[in-house]
Amino acid sequence: MDMETLVRRAKQGDKDALVRLIMDKQSDYYKLAFVYMRNKEDSLDAMADMIITLYEKIHQLKKPETFYSWSKTILVNRCKKLLKDRSKLVRLDAIKDHGCVAELKENEDKIILGEHLSKLNEKHREVIRLRYFLGLDYKTMSRILKIPVGTVKSRIHTGLKSLKKSLGGDGYERN
Amino acid sequence: MREIERILDKGKIDMDNMEVPEELEEKLYKALEDKSPVKPKRANRKAVLAVACILILIVGYNLSSLAYYGKRLLGYNQVMNGTLKQLNELGRGQLVEKDYTFENGLTVILDGIMLDENQLLVFYTINDPKGEVDKAPNIHMFIKGFFREYSPQSGHGIINDEKTEIKWIHSFEKPSIFEKTLRLELDMTEDKIRETGQISFKIDANKAMGSILKQNINKTIKNGNTEIHLGHISASPTKTVLHGSIQNIVELARDQILGERIRPNNIDIRLIANGNEVPYQGGGMSTDIKGIRFHSDFDALPENLESVELFIKSFSVDRDVNKRIHIEGDKSEQNIEILEQNIKINNMYKSSGSTYVTISTREDIILTRVGLVIDGERISLKETIDSDLEKLEDGTIIHTRTLCFPGEGENYELSIERMTYTQPYDKTVKIPL
Repeated sequence: MDMETLVRRAKQGDKDALVRLIMDKQSDYYKLAFVYMRNKEDSLDAMADMIITLYEKIHQLKKPETFYSWSKTILVNRCKKLLKDRSKLVRLDAIKDHGCVAELKENEDKIILGEHLSKLNEKHREVIRLRYFLGLDYKTMSRILKIPVGTVKSRIHTGLKSLKKSLGGDGYERN
Repeated sequence: MREIERILDKGKIDMDNMEVPEELEEKLYKALEDKSPVKPKRANRKAVLAVACILILIVGYNLSSLAYYGKRLLGYNQVMNGTLKQLNELGRGQLVEKDYTFENGLTVILDGIMLDENQLLVFYTINDPKGEVDKAPNIHMFIKGFFREYSPQSGHGIINDEKTEIKWIHSFEKPSIFEKTLRLELDMTEDKIRETGQISFKIDANKAMGSILKQNINKTIKNGNTEIHLGHISASPTKTVLHGSIQNIVELARDQILGERIRPNNIDIRLIANGNEVPYQGGGMSTDIKGIRFHSDFDALPENLESVELFIKSFSVDRDVNKRIHIEGDKSEQNIEILEQNIKINNMYKSSGSTYVTISTREDIILTRVGLVIDGERISLKETIDSDLEKLEDGTIIHTRTLCFPGEGENYELSIERMTYTQPYDKTVKIPL
């Protein structure tokens, strides 16, 4: 079944079709969530939140072909919402950014990167992760984040610059 | 920068190697488990519909009150009859509020109009700052449209106590439905100086009130030597008009040739709606290429119409008779019948060079053209004297009078050329609703 048919079915309230749509691209979604949530449980929670929103709002989707960028935007927003809610409990800068590190074999670069990334402004950190961890192109990022391509580029540039500055200081010397 | 990208790339490799937890699918299903399908489109439409309804109600409600205050013609309360007052209260008028001032200071203010199927009512004020509006010269009016001119039919006005203004309501022929802009043409002549003015105004055909009842009757009622053809009735919110005819052009021509022409004087027709008589407002008759036609105007029909009927009371006509009746000097008393009407010649006497003929008829019978042929010479009526009315037991009023003809002779013939009489009808015609 092609994607547009699935979207049409999902619009009519077909839960299977909606889950199918997500599962067909499960890796993209999961990684996207992971980039924000940085652990398995929270990523899965974010995706569960997303699918509920999708199910409730899919009738508003005018063009079926935009389903993926639309649903990813929702996922990103859910992630940010979850993070924000959590930050009310714990100050964000109090937790060290472990990045995708925790899951994997520790290595110094990752630790350093995680630390420094967490020092970045949220919007710069976000684009850098999407760009480098997920390998998303500018256009896709622009669509998911609902910001112009130019802004994506400039945020990446600024992010990288700040990262360099940060790494050039205490952190990088450790390597 | 390259160093950073190298580090970042490592992060990407980590991501690429990342596996999606197996429980994802189950988790997604679970999230959706107790969600029922939303059909918000429908709900939205309902909401939109509800909002629209509320808006229409609110706006509509206010519009009518806006109309109430915005479109009433003020100051015409005394001039208007009950029907017009009601319509004015309902804001059925169209405000114009334009004026024209003549050289002598007289101002005509066109306050507004009211339009329906039967007429165009024009509400205007003539203002005289000098306080002599009653002495102001007459202003002739007509309405000029794109297609033709519309003449006034009737009107009435009231002067205020200060004599500074007259409020007029004038009824004009209903303009063509295609007329958009009309011009009220004013024409005043004072001290042999003529001045004309114009007030142009727009009419909104959408605001014209439709008819309450439009019904073809198409019935001919005959009695005696006369007949009335009832054509159709048209009832609009401002008035009710009955259209009919007396003779078509062929009948008219035939009678003219035969010397039996009929000239209708008055048709007494009453309009009864729901058992009550609707006030009569006026009427008119015309003779032209289309024959003799008439219309009778009544007030507007009441609401909740249950029945409408026309009661044809009588028809008064003036007819060509051209009959000569021989009168013997000593046996002058005789009864004659002309057009089924009785005329009694009581007596005839001569006195100081004049001949007097005393006749008795029903009150409504008048010999409109009468002469006395004395020895072959027709003498015209000089005067009517000793007029006397007598009421009979059945209610009939008998009119006895003496006709005076200057001249006397041996042979007498009363020449009745034309005569007016009223033909009673007393017939009811029901109009289907």
